[in-house]
Amino acid sequence: MAGLEVKNISKTFHIQARPTEGVLSHVISAIEGRGNTWELRVLNDISFSCKPGEVFGIIGSNGCGKSTLLRIIAGIYRQDKGIVHAPGRVVYLSGFNIGLQNKLTMRENIYLVGSIMGLRKREVHRYFDDIVRFSGLKDFLDTKIYQFSSGMVARLGFSSIISFVNHKKPDVVLLDEVLGAGGDAEFKREALAKMEEFMRSGAAVIMVSHDMKPIQKYCSRVILLRDGKIAAEGRPEEVIEEYEGTAA
Amino acid sequence: MKDILRLSFSLAKTSFKLRNEGSYLGIMWYLLGPLALFFIILFVKGAAFPGTSAPSYPIYLLIGITGFNFFRQSITTSIQAINMNAGFIRSINNISLETFVLATILESVFSHIFEIALVAAFMIYFGVPVLGILLYPLSFLVFFPFILGAGFFCAAVGVYTTDLDNIWMIASQLLFFVTPVFYTIEPGTMLHTVNLFNPVFYFVSISRSLLIDRTFPPLWMFGVILGMGALACFVGIKIFEAKKRELAEKV
Repeated sequence: MAGLEVKNISKTFHIQARPTEGVLSHVISAIEGRGNTWELRVLNDISFSCKPGEVFGIIGSNGCGKSTLLRIIAGIYRQDKGIVHAPGRVVYLSGFNIGLQNKLTMRENIYLVGSIMGLRKREVHRYFDDIVRFSGLKDFLDTKIYQFSSGMVARLGFSSIISFVNHKKPDVVLLDEVLGAGGDAEFKREALAKMEEFMRSGAAVIMVSHDMKPIQKYCSRVILLRDGKIAAEGRPEEVIEEYEGTAA
Repeated sequence: MKDILRLSFSLAKTSFKLRNEGSYLGIMWYLLGPLALFFIILFVKGAAFPGTSAPSYPIYLLIGITGFNFFRQSITTSIQAINMNAGFIRSINNISLETFVLATILESVFSHIFEIALVAAFMIYFGVPVLGILLYPLSFLVFFPFILGAGFFCAAVGVYTTDLDNIWMIASQLLFFVTPVFYTIEPGTMLHTVNLFNPVFYFVSISRSLLIDRTFPPLWMFGVILGMGALACFVGIKIFEAKKRELAEKV
């Protein structure tokens, strides 16, 4: 099966300089010939590919366009130019607490997150016991989660999302600053093992992270984004050295 | 489409449940607003114009209030449908944006079902034959396309301008007084002519004919409200679809 291909992607945002100003200020700006928006080119002619089973890294400083690029691949944002060829199912993950509602019980939250992730009730039911077992929160099934500690919420979120994403058997996985989970040291270890298993499932994985350790450990190739362009591309250690060299 | 409807239903159910979660009166809060308005108008009208009301006036009034309330609530929540779900929209790629608009409209439908149950209870109390309530879905179904189209339009425009919230707040107040919610209007008057362009007028008029008079309203009324609904759907959904891919970047 063909992997993910990103060809010549460009994206410009029109930033409102003074978003709170009213009609009168707009009129005055127009009369004076001052525009109230400016263009920010976030991505400029970005191309790369990722084979099935490969883990590909994207690094760069804040605001360099990493998340924008992932959102374009996921179909959340629209590119101005270029083509994304993402065969099969694409899953974008930017956190594990998506959809959790404080005033619902753990049981209700599992079903809610399942439906948000596109599963039917009977499909959620199939994974229910595994989610509860992995989270280690069996005794709190009918407790509203505002009474949970942040670690417990992290356990619930991770266990639910990872099971539902696994169910979807994605062909492309986009990990936006997510690797592992919160919770105590033991759960973190288990969660990381689960993520590693997930990354070995044969999908093309794109990983964005500010933490260079997982980039070095899991990625076979990495690109460095700077000023909307690919500033470096190659093996993790080379690209990371380039990034840290310029950052310093 | 089936997936969109399923998730919309699930989100609407959760939101409906959560809105008054933990409060002592729970879902009763959905009814207390229209009920309070009902009693206030009934009291003021009784005090200002004693003896002028028809025997079925309380039901006439309650149908007007609940019908208008459904319309107002659907549009108010639709305006915020996309903005309120910005977190979801930017972090999940498998949800269609239509889901959030449908979910907010469905939530209004859920609370409207409780309002209609209240109307039925009052019909029994005031001696109006309650069987007429079985015809209510007909009036609801002919009005629903308008709500749907207007909801999609407002959801898309609401992302681009926060002014829409305030504009709607004033416009809905104006519309409340223009619509014959608590008074009657005679054909040939200026107010009647104005109301011929008001979709809520058709909704409450058809509902009252079916529930109180148990007569079938003139067919042209169905034609006009369905025509308005078709136009609203065409414009609203077309604009929403055209702007859909931009909305995630704007919220």
